[in-house]
Amino acid sequence: MPLRVTLTDYGVGNLYSIRRSLENCGAEVTTVKDMKDVLDAECIVFPGVGAFDKTMEKLQPYREEIREKLLTGTPALGICIGMQIMYGSSAEGTTPGLGLFDGDVVPLVGKVIPHMGWNQVVSNDALMDGVEDNNFYFAHSYRGNPSEDITIGRTEYEGTEIPTFFRKANTYGTQFHPEKSSKSGMAFLRNFIAFAESVL
Amino acid sequence: MLTKRIIPCLDVKNGKVVKGINFKGLRDVGYPPEMAANYEMQGADEITFLDITASLETRQTMLDIVSETAGKLFVPLTVGGGIRSVDDMRDALNAGADKVSVNSAAVKNPQIVSECAESFGRQCVVVAIDGKRVDDHWEVFTHGGTRSTGIDAVEWAKKVEDLGAGEILLTSMDTDGVKNGYDIPLTAAVADEVNIPVIASGGCGCKEHIYDVFSQTGASAALAASIFHYNECTVGEVKEYLRDRGIVVR
Repeated sequence: MPLRVTLTDYGVGNLYSIRRSLENCGAEVTTVKDMKDVLDAECIVFPGVGAFDKTMEKLQPYREEIREKLLTGTPALGICIGMQIMYGSSAEGTTPGLGLFDGDVVPLVGKVIPHMGWNQVVSNDALMDGVEDNNFYFAHSYRGNPSEDITIGRTEYEGTEIPTFFRKANTYGTQFHPEKSSKSGMAFLRNFIAFAESVL
Repeated sequence: MLTKRIIPCLDVKNGKVVKGINFKGLRDVGYPPEMAANYEMQGADEITFLDITASLETRQTMLDIVSETAGKLFVPLTVGGGIRSVDDMRDALNAGADKVSVNSAAVKNPQIVSECAESFGRQCVVVAIDGKRVDDHWEVFTHGGTRSTGIDAVEWAKKVEDLGAGEILLTSMDTDGVKNGYDIPLTAAVADEVNIPVIASGGCGCKEHIYDVFSQTGASAALAASIFHYNECTVGEVKEYLRDRGIVVR
């Protein structure tokens, strides 16, 4: 039976490409608008669209329960803003995040912001197995700033190394967009699906 | 490090990719979803669609083509042409675009840039600027380069950055369609003044021109149409050429 992925629709931005990418990798995807439905999920993907506050708005009533679900081992993937909401707070907004990751979200520093385009993710994690080219697509002005040891991948931007890939319990977080990262992204998502199946 | 992007541009009219010589004698060169998928295979970093008719009658045709193309692509897709409001932008994003570019509407009503950035995030708001040299500076032109605005292009670029643009698609009216190379002075002037990525556009006739714009300006990306459409070279060949000369590409 295929992995059943629950995709959260916060009501901002299109989820077309992430949905199609996951299906392409063999998952059965259900998009949910009521965040209560996340609590029954087998595997959750938090997509990377919108701004911090808007994204958290709908998740807020179930914040504690979702964090508990993730802490106790439900496989999940947060992409871009969907990763940033795993932190407790963000400089981009005033709404608290899910607080699964210890630390906060801070503005990215550099001459050119947003960090937009393809950049290398240096990681030895199993989700990178078989990924031939470690260039992934980025489009962000903020970044995760963990205060615990959850960083599993880094990216150099304008001479500074920034953490861009995280894992805590069975929740992965990526600053990059695998669903926009052509072949490398597909290989990554196939690995994530295999991982999720292995921990169920 | 961040790689320089190569972006094939598809000018779309009535659902077909067209290419004209100096805006005349438009001719069909292909079907957008197929061409876009082929460019992704060649190594394109993104795809840009410009609806060059952008009339109300063709809007739904365009959105259908955007959906069909987005359904085949696993790289970002930017859509522009005739975006006049936040609703137009939402329609394009819902159809599957990752970024949307605004041009004339932003000049008419600059607030549209901040409204779109607030609604969808600045990373999906591209402001397209058509610049043309007038005396000792560059002026912004709108409506496909037909209307002078009197606005200084470099100042306008700084202003749209402040308003919330995530990126600037900068086309030189002086070099566009001529295939003699990008407008290096204009591109350098804008890229030096803003702190958001600048996509150079207009004038690409061969892979050497792409090298020139990356080696001589701060452009983050180069947009090109005819060299790819007419199979003068592939995206892969451009990248190999750049890589051999020390430009970091994917």
